[in-house]
Amino acid sequence: MRILGTAAAAAQFPGFSRWGFACGYMGNAALQIKPAEYRPQFFTPAEYASVERLTEIIIPSDATPGAKEAGVAEFIDFMVFSDPDAQYGFRTGLTWLDAFAEESTGKRFMALTLGQQTSLLEPLGFKSKARPGLEAGRRFFSLMREYTVTGFYTTEIGYKELDNPALKFYAESPECPHTGDPEHKHLPPPKY
Amino acid sequence: MANQIHDVIVIGTGAGGGMAIKTLCDAGLKVCALNASRRLDPEKDFRFHRMPWDMKFRGLDDPKRRGESFGYMDNEYTKAAWDHEIPFTTPPGMKWMWPRCNAVGGKTNFWGRSSARFGDIDFKAASLDGYDVDWPLTYDEISPFYTRVEKMIGVASTVQNRPSNPDGSYLPPFNFRCLDFILQSGCNKVGVPYLPDRCAQLTQPHEGHPACHFCGECTTGCDVGAFFSTPYFLLPKAEATKNLELRTDALVKNVLVDENGQATGVAYIDRQTKQEVEVYGRAVVVAASCIESARIMLNSKSRHWPNGIANTSGQLGRNLCDHLYGESARGYLPQLLGQPSFPDHVGDSTIAWMPRWQNLKDPHEEKFIRGYSVYPDGGCEEFPGFATELDGFGSSFKREVKRRYPTHVSFGVQAPTLRSDTNFVDLDPEVKDPYGIPVARIHFEWDENVLKMWEHSKQVCSDVLRAAGAELEKTGDEPEIPGFSLHETGTCRMGNDRNKFVTNRFGQTHDVPNLYVCDASVFLNCTDKTTTISILAFSLRTSEHLIENFRRGEHQAA
Repeated sequence: MRILGTAAAAAQFPGFSRWGFACGYMGNAALQIKPAEYRPQFFTPAEYASVERLTEIIIPSDATPGAKEAGVAEFIDFMVFSDPDAQYGFRTGLTWLDAFAEESTGKRFMALTLGQQTSLLEPLGFKSKARPGLEAGRRFFSLMREYTVTGFYTTEIGYKELDNPALKFYAESPECPHTGDPEHKHLPPPKY
Repeated sequence: MANQIHDVIVIGTGAGGGMAIKTLCDAGLKVCALNASRRLDPEKDFRFHRMPWDMKFRGLDDPKRRGESFGYMDNEYTKAAWDHEIPFTTPPGMKWMWPRCNAVGGKTNFWGRSSARFGDIDFKAASLDGYDVDWPLTYDEISPFYTRVEKMIGVASTVQNRPSNPDGSYLPPFNFRCLDFILQSGCNKVGVPYLPDRCAQLTQPHEGHPACHFCGECTTGCDVGAFFSTPYFLLPKAEATKNLELRTDALVKNVLVDENGQATGVAYIDRQTKQEVEVYGRAVVVAASCIESARIMLNSKSRHWPNGIANTSGQLGRNLCDHLYGESARGYLPQLLGQPSFPDHVGDSTIAWMPRWQNLKDPHEEKFIRGYSVYPDGGCEEFPGFATELDGFGSSFKREVKRRYPTHVSFGVQAPTLRSDTNFVDLDPEVKDPYGIPVARIHFEWDENVLKMWEHSKQVCSDVLRAAGAELEKTGDEPEIPGFSLHETGTCRMGNDRNKFVTNRFGQTHDVPNLYVCDASVFLNCTDKTTTISILAFSLRTSEHLIENFRRGEHQAA
């Protein structure tokens, strides 16, 4: 039932190409969703390329899948398309980012290499590297990070990344396994 | 059929109405129950056990719809259940949040399930601290009703021997999680209690209802009825007696009266046909929830009752109280950094509580009177909300989200307001709902006493976090806006003096003996405890009083 439900639901979503693939249990039902070039509903193709890159930089694909595999940019496009109140912040933010890139490097954001993009974003994304005058850019980056986090950790890929306990059911009320250590001062070394 | 006279008309099918319906039907009375909206179909309307990616907006609901919402409870899991059609107003400068589930079962479909008894410290609070008046009954009188309710619904907890919290009979409690033991050690150092909550969630099969399956999605409805709600626990029993006629989409407009001003029935709008319909009964029970009950009664104007039915005291709609809710403090537990994830979410925030510890020995020990309770929460929740505010980006960011996932903890305060002349409900003189019924206008502001509790809770919860070895990240800045808790009380307060109270000590209106109130409207204030189990206990008592009055011939059976 779950599989059929997801396929039916995903088929109704306008234009998601990666959606089905971000959900691991699609089985044959996935065949009904054709992978295709995603056509953004709100962002222009150029804006969308920047959004996609920003999500990939915020939650990269490394030892585990990241925002790219989870189709986070598509989710953001859909949410911003659906929310007139959010549109201004994204549009002006992306414009600001290109202006900032040109001012700093002489090139637009997407004309930079991944390494240059990452360096450019550091003063926006890390408190320790913030500089005066970049407040608007920092606000935009926070917005982007918020949407990326929301879009990533609400997919099955995101659930698996955290080993989200909601992926399983429990026969009884789960109990702390560390008997005799109520303050948890003697736990095994961190796993992550 | 059109002129059929029922024994009792019950308005509302939530905790208060549901208990009245079941009790009256069991006693052989013919009941017509009116519910303002439809029945929920668990197959279609309860979207539990769905993952966020199964839903178009990942469970968050359409941003456009959220923008126009009257309440925070809307999401993609439950959106069919919450009423968006009936507006309300507030005077300039005041705010109120009023999410209403008008579906059959009302808010019991999605409630928080914490179920502590009121005690004499609540009923006799006025004698202790000199503010307001005592309740017109003692704990000894209501205690047997609590015991019967606990048997009916099943409450998981422990015997705790606390002066503010009378103990009952309990199912085994939820097990403590890692974060509970750590926070409890902090509480022990600070000297405040940290105990299993009293949670109406079945940790073992109970009275024919299955045990909880720990999915953690209680607030989106339960598919097996493993926590109390009237559609699972009470209404089927009432329907089995064949004494119940339940009319849905019946939005009550006013109570009808005869030439002597006694209740003869109810006029409602059929929301399907938009037609006004009258239904007749020998007694009427109002249980539409605190504000809605006041609205219906205030709108029941007649020659006898120019200011609303049963309102010669002038107290109908007055004395509105509410729980201040807010996040007193939050932080994270470095002890759990990088530890494997743990199913912290299974109790859906009702595993532990910090029951009232203030003003127990001396009612004036603190800078405020009365007291508040606190609900801790945290750990591996379904969505790592903390990550939206985490610094940085890239692989280090991703790793930090994972490391911190089990560590987040927060404290939510539940603090009662005091009765006040300036907090009340009346009818808006201009605004009407789509059916032409005047809407409720809600006048409400936090009082000084409750704001002192809020400040106090921020301090104590920060101390607990530090004592537990946690990193304190933030203390609360602003509480939630009024109405958020859904624990409003007091618009038809009960008391012996008919000049000062709408209802008598049994919830029967002083002015109209065949009109009863069976919801939190009759409470004198909201105490530091949640309302549902007390609504059930008081409704049971009122319903049995009503049955007794039928037996004595005061309201003749149909």
